[in-house]
Amino acid sequence: MNGLLTSAVAGLTAGGAYGLLGVCAVFTYRLVAVVNFTSAAIGTAGTFVLVVLNEAGIPLFPAVLCGLVAGVIAGVAIGLVMTKWFAESNASTKAAVTVALLVGIVAIGLRLTGGQHPHHFPDLFSGSAMRLAGVELTISSLLTIGLGVAFTILADVLLSRTRMGLHLRALSERPMAAELIGVPVQFLSILVWGITGAVTAFSLMIIAPQRSPDFMSLSLLVVPALAAALIGLFRSFWMTLIGGILIGVVEGMTSVIGGLNQYRGAVPFLIILAVMLWLQRGARWDEAR
Amino acid sequence: MKNVRKLMLAAGSIGILALALSGQALAAGPTCAGGTIKVGAVSTVTGPIDFSEVPKATQAAFDQINAAGGVNGCKIDYTISDDKADPQVAAQAARDLIDNKEVVAIVGGASLLECAVNGPTYKRKNVLDIPGVGVDAACFNSPNIAPVNAGPFTMTTAVSYFGARSLNVKKLCAVIGIIGGTDEAYKTALSNWEKITGQKLHMIDLSMTPGGDLTPYVIKVRDAGCDAVVTNHIEPGVVQWIKTADAQKVTGISWLFLSPAYTEQVAKALADTNQPVYASVEWEPFTEPNSEANKGWLASMNAAKRPLTAFSQGGYLAAQVFVEVLKKIDGPVTRGTVTSALLTMQPIGVALNGSAWVFGSGATHSPMQATKVVKLDHGTWKIATPSWVVLPPL
Amino acid sequence: MKRASFRSASVIVAAAMVAGAIITGLLPGYWTYLATSVLISAVALQSIGLVAGRTGMIALCQMSFAGVGAWTVGYLNVGGAPGNLPVWIFIGGLAAVPFGVAIGLPALRLRGINLAIVTLGFATAFDAILASITFPGQTKFIAVPRPEIFDSDGGYFIFVLIFYVFLAVGLEFLIRTRLGAIWLAVRHSERAAAAHGISIPGAKLSAFAISAFIAGISGGLLAGYLGTLVADNFNMMQSLALFAVSTMTGAQFAEGALIGGILAVAFPEILRRLNLGQDIGNVLFAIGATQALSAGESMSETLRRKVRGWRKAAPAPLDAGARIAPPAAVPLRHGTALSTRGLTVRYGAVVALNHVDLAVPEGAVSGLIGPNGAGKSTLIDAVAGFLHSYSGSVELAGDAVDDQPAHVRARNGIRRTWQTTRIAPELTVGAYVRLAGGEMSDAEVQAILNWIECPHPDTLVASVDAGTRRLLDVAGVVAARPKVVLLDEPAAGQSYEETIKLGRHIAEIPKLFGCAVLLVEHDMDLVRAACSEITVLDFGRVIAAGAPAVVLEDPRVRKAYLGIEEGNAAA
Repeated sequence: MNGLLTSAVAGLTAGGAYGLLGVCAVFTYRLVAVVNFTSAAIGTAGTFVLVVLNEAGIPLFPAVLCGLVAGVIAGVAIGLVMTKWFAESNASTKAAVTVALLVGIVAIGLRLTGGQHPHHFPDLFSGSAMRLAGVELTISSLLTIGLGVAFTILADVLLSRTRMGLHLRALSERPMAAELIGVPVQFLSILVWGITGAVTAFSLMIIAPQRSPDFMSLSLLVVPALAAALIGLFRSFWMTLIGGILIGVVEGMTSVIGGLNQYRGAVPFLIILAVMLWLQRGARWDEAR
Repeated sequence: MKNVRKLMLAAGSIGILALALSGQALAAGPTCAGGTIKVGAVSTVTGPIDFSEVPKATQAAFDQINAAGGVNGCKIDYTISDDKADPQVAAQAARDLIDNKEVVAIVGGASLLECAVNGPTYKRKNVLDIPGVGVDAACFNSPNIAPVNAGPFTMTTAVSYFGARSLNVKKLCAVIGIIGGTDEAYKTALSNWEKITGQKLHMIDLSMTPGGDLTPYVIKVRDAGCDAVVTNHIEPGVVQWIKTADAQKVTGISWLFLSPAYTEQVAKALADTNQPVYASVEWEPFTEPNSEANKGWLASMNAAKRPLTAFSQGGYLAAQVFVEVLKKIDGPVTRGTVTSALLTMQPIGVALNGSAWVFGSGATHSPMQATKVVKLDHGTWKIATPSWVVLPPL
Repeated sequence: MKRASFRSASVIVAAAMVAGAIITGLLPGYWTYLATSVLISAVALQSIGLVAGRTGMIALCQMSFAGVGAWTVGYLNVGGAPGNLPVWIFIGGLAAVPFGVAIGLPALRLRGINLAIVTLGFATAFDAILASITFPGQTKFIAVPRPEIFDSDGGYFIFVLIFYVFLAVGLEFLIRTRLGAIWLAVRHSERAAAAHGISIPGAKLSAFAISAFIAGISGGLLAGYLGTLVADNFNMMQSLALFAVSTMTGAQFAEGALIGGILAVAFPEILRRLNLGQDIGNVLFAIGATQALSAGESMSETLRRKVRGWRKAAPAPLDAGARIAPPAAVPLRHGTALSTRGLTVRYGAVVALNHVDLAVPEGAVSGLIGPNGAGKSTLIDAVAGFLHSYSGSVELAGDAVDDQPAHVRARNGIRRTWQTTRIAPELTVGAYVRLAGGEMSDAEVQAILNWIECPHPDTLVASVDAGTRRLLDVAGVVAARPKVVLLDEPAAGQSYEETIKLGRHIAEIPKLFGCAVLLVEHDMDLVRAACSEITVLDFGRVIAAGAPAVVLEDPRVRKAYLGIEEGNAAA
């Protein structure tokens, strides 16, 4: 039992990361109506810029800034593709586009950053914050969760309390109408893409040293992130954050259950499936169609 | 540039000398139609990892032999094919080498999955494969493949053997990530260790997935009270594992890694750690430039301006043993004569490894059975076992 | 329809025989080997084409299904199962079906994008599991044996070709059945499909099951092709790349799948010959797929459009001889066809419908009018079962239907049209009528189309103008001969003459098809021409009901609605 608790706490680190990336995904979806499969890849691109610059001897702080700028650029680039060519498309098509882009980005990313040796990922925040159930919670893992909470609150307030949030919501729900009433649609969409690019880049900078730091593994963090977003039904930031942490914790717990070892990879998936089926009990009609 | 030429000349003259000597020993040497011997390799170059250093070292060695007149006048025409770690592409590449390029053998490759994918094809086409670095389990367990490295499975046994013998480990734990169907191979390797040492593994976990958070595993081995943990991480995972152990303030456990940990990048990335980190090494440690065993390899790689890494040792060694066998062929070099020469050859002593390399006619081939172990010491790897740790036969 | 199936089937068989002869007879072994690989990829692409291209669900785990098929073949081989490779491949395909259904199940409720995430999650999970299971027989060098006569490169090519032809021909027939039309309809609009009485879960599940079967077959073929397999044959990136290729080439079409297969094999080959990295292939696939999505047209759709353009020289003449009499009249029923009691719909604080009592008598056309935002379309949505919740009740011929989902209401006799037409443009006119109306004879289809003056059944909906599509909407709902038909502004966008003609047709519906009609319309000429009674809604309440002459003179109605409208019309 104690082992289970310990491993659950150990899973918090990963859970915080999933939650944070999940919240970013919901933010993107609610504001520009795109389920973005490339989100983690965008962040990864920014992170690798930091790593390469840092390896080249540039001090940490400016390197981080450059990495964030790269995240913004990558986000805006994807955003431009989406707003230029797919503004009128339905949600499924947009998602399909990001899936296709992911295939290409991973190939390019591996080409640019790959090779046989890993890069050295600097720890932005090293050291341990506290000890819980015999597990050291590192500053970065707490920061990941903290950042998730902060971003959740921020996104919630922005969307439901501010005029800009109102504009942004109008933008995702009725882009044409929003344009007509004078909302600068193009500008705001690109802004959203840029912001999420920076936030995911920063998230990944914190997460990356704790993960297998190659371009593909980091880009595929989008899978648990979107699963978390799914638990929040792409609407609730809090549910998403909690969902992400839940997935991480359960993943951690399965590592001590002997019989499950081989099938450990499938457990989070089964949980998502169960949660999904429970949350969406009634028939739903796709609003877009 | 001048230096290079000088070195090339030196290497060339050594080659000619060797050739002359072997020419005396045999009545007639190998001959070839059209003056070339076609050889190929299927390697992972793009995709999740880049192993191209291995075949490029083979290429460099072949180039130097060619520059020195070739093998009894025959130039080696070497083709490297990328497989992107994609089985479909790997299969296509092998068929292209065999059917279109008409290679006599596959030499010096290193791929995440090539052996498993192409093993049946090589058997069907009666082609033999000498990987520079065998990676997947099938490389050490197929009738038509014999790598020049010991490989992760033998290394798992060997580094654990080192732990029991030299570190006096009583509670050895194994945390192994299984990818690409290596389950049986690792289980065999660990049970071989139990047979050799008469000890029992304290704990075994085969559930690690690549790219995941390692905290739960580090906690698990700590709570299990392990003295030492053998784990099969590749390079990024090694760094991640030790950083996680440091983050969790784990002490008193020796970490036994396999050869992928043994790189200068890992040493640099882990310069700050105080954890006892060991890695087993496939060949004479490349960080020892003064070692006698490394001489030939060093000269060759410096001449070709190839990096000095374990990978290039593998590629170089594959070229060397292959050419040794070629020289003994009496008559035309064809796929058939190369195959039969390899199957009937005598073991070749290999200075780069404590074992002798042989292809031979066995159903499976894993000729290399020795390792040296290095220990991480503030950003550099230091030799922990000056002499070879040779696994006793079961 | 049958004719078209046989025609394309014979084209496929003939092409396959020629290709088989050329490839095995003339090309060297290596090219035969590559051609085999093309076909196996094409089979996998067909499986994703069915579920993604045809049914519109983003499925990112097709290679996992293929893995199930391949591993099954491996186990059957090692276990010494009776039969030989073709039997095992078939069993492997069947083994993938439960997985397809299990993944399809959440698809029943999840919207398209969520399904993409769930399938991707499945692919990840399956990766982790498959990676830990060695391919059966690999460690003991038991390769999957090919049947003796197909053992050579050329032989195995023929073996795979036979499978490919069987699957391609089977699919050609399948997509021209009602099920095929249902898939297209679901992809185009789930609501519109449900309004035709189609069970969306059933449609999605069948697509997933059949596509998993085909993917499983492709895995089995691959097992025989390579002898032994590794988990990477079926990993998630393979599934993603497959998705990109299928999007790019349009794998729902036989030629699209084949082009995709050729690209998947040719890229590595070309890149190797140019001495370029193999990763460029994926980048090109990503660009190609994005381009296809932005153009809204895959390679094979472009190809088909061009071919149609060349053939266009002689458009199918309207079958002049087939001026068949309109369908036989149906004896009229009596009483109330449809009624609502206290129907109330709230959107948050807004009350869209407020205790609406409405009765649609049998054998007549009733009108429902009211200013914009009065709640007319909301009423249709509520009656047809497209609202999550409402209070009050809806009765069809006296039976409450409130607990029935939309497609069951449609089957039981409530059919509706939409303000904007939602017909899948890939269908033919005849296939659409059959989709809406169920199986019926060619003569019957022709008669209905003649009645409402729609083009020949073989005409593609994509080539029909918007006005005619509105007529086709009406033809579809009446073809099902439901108890009641709800028409949502059928005259929107029609010219004056067309509207008059439409009014005449609507007035004929009760007599010819036995359906009661509730007509929602703004066009007063149409309402006057077609309706025998009228209900007026304003702000979600019924403000008047009765005979048109009486209701339209009611001062409240004039104030709420007609005064403004007439004023505008005059201006």
